[in-house]
Amino acid sequence: MEFIGHGGKKLVERVVTDKKEALNKIKGLKAVPVRRQLATEAISLAYGFFSPLEGFMKKNDVDSTCKNMALVDGTVWSIPIVFDISDQEIVDYGIKVGTSVLLTYEGNPLAIFEIEDIYAYDRDTWSQAVYGTTDSKHPGVKRTLDYKDKFLGGKITLINPPKFNPPFDQYWLTPKQHREKFGQKGWKRVVAHQTRNVPHSGHEWLMKHAWMATHAEMSMEETEEGHAITGVLVNAIIGEKRAGDYIDQAIILTQDALRKYGYFRDDVHMTSFTLWDMRYAGPKEAVHHAIIRTNLGLTHHMFGRDHAGVGTYYGSYDAHRIFNKIPKEKLNITPIFVVEWLYCPHCGEVTCIGLCNHKKEWQGFSGTVIRSIIMDGVKPPRLIFRPEIFDIVQECAEKYGFGSPFVTQEYLDKGTQAFRIDPL
Amino acid sequence: MAETYPINIWINEERYAKLQKAGLAELTQDAFAGLKKLPVPNTMNQVDRVVKLFPKAKFDSATTKTIELLPKDVKDDIFDMVVSMGKIDIMEEFLKKHGA
Repeated sequence: MEFIGHGGKKLVERVVTDKKEALNKIKGLKAVPVRRQLATEAISLAYGFFSPLEGFMKKNDVDSTCKNMALVDGTVWSIPIVFDISDQEIVDYGIKVGTSVLLTYEGNPLAIFEIEDIYAYDRDTWSQAVYGTTDSKHPGVKRTLDYKDKFLGGKITLINPPKFNPPFDQYWLTPKQHREKFGQKGWKRVVAHQTRNVPHSGHEWLMKHAWMATHAEMSMEETEEGHAITGVLVNAIIGEKRAGDYIDQAIILTQDALRKYGYFRDDVHMTSFTLWDMRYAGPKEAVHHAIIRTNLGLTHHMFGRDHAGVGTYYGSYDAHRIFNKIPKEKLNITPIFVVEWLYCPHCGEVTCIGLCNHKKEWQGFSGTVIRSIIMDGVKPPRLIFRPEIFDIVQECAEKYGFGSPFVTQEYLDKGTQAFRIDPL
Repeated sequence: MAETYPINIWINEERYAKLQKAGLAELTQDAFAGLKKLPVPNTMNQVDRVVKLFPKAKFDSATTKTIELLPKDVKDDIFDMVVSMGKIDIMEEFLKKHGA
């Protein structure tokens, strides 16, 4: 079945699954080892998470993305997806336009890269356009400045699909598989909850809010009968970690636990993930997330306060406003804007700042406070943090986090990665 | 009175019972949906010494003005000192015990 992805174009899938064919295709190709970020982006490109891109971006598309927030053909695009390489590596690997190389990860074949462009790009222009700043303290700007001398553009074909380690293997779906799954569930509308967090009740209510807004005018009969036609997809971002973040295993397992323990119905809620290193590009990253989720087949995308922001670089609702500048027909996903949910002692419940008028009494879900409670090993009240979620966080700390639910140097050095590439 | 910067010890039932026994339960504060905390005060000088002693800890100078991310065993130790010494102002003794 042919699926249509972002920009109204055919969903990309450039994957060779036949081992013999793959071995034939890579015969004689020069092997170029890649780091984790490039390996994950090659995987995402090949499966169509970044459709209509078929490979790493060429200079004209990067330039158009920076200047117009669109690819050369006019398709909305907000963050360059690039392959960086040093001048020395270009010489060492004999890389030339018109040739192909074999990308390898941890010593094993990963993908064929058809080199169509070799170029440089001004980092300040790029940073200002994508991040709205050239401040090297911004993590996205730092990443841009740290890229090697040149960039290679061209098509990617995955020849050795990744194997996902437990527990990630239960939650990995390609864009096509997401769409097939939604079809099986009978979902007519699906709203994305983008996350890098273990959920507290504030997150839970954001999802409930988004589900109601997404379902909107559609019939409630099917839902009452037990087969909802609107779903919430928690699509966690699994990628580069920083010390103090929640460990990936805790994020994915606790998000699914909201369904497993009945806080959401089985026919309403589902968890999966996307491999992506956050750029913290605020509004531009919100557009990028919308593009990815369009490719997964979602119809709606929830955006909260300060979506994908960092520090004080963006206004709280910049990531909402940017969608007003994009013509509806250019982005086939409807943004659902949500405001903060918090605990009000007067109401005695979790409520929304858009509804409750006991402002002086509000107790917000500060990430720092929740983290502090979890670190003390003290179970928070179930109204703000579900007891099953707390237990899973503690279990994950023991099983995957070397005693901590938060990323430590030990986790970074020895923790199990989400995926591996086996020998072909 | 000079401003102080607390280390918040979160109070479960077991800890609350120990504080009651030590006559310190009234020092707890309602913090979040009925969950209580015990704010152990620090001067700015003590904040600097705590953060130096435990490099993973952070002083949140922007919002909460509290010391966060202290390891659990360190906070357990602070709580035990509060209970055994029968007072909340124990950070000088705590820092001396750790050679800081």
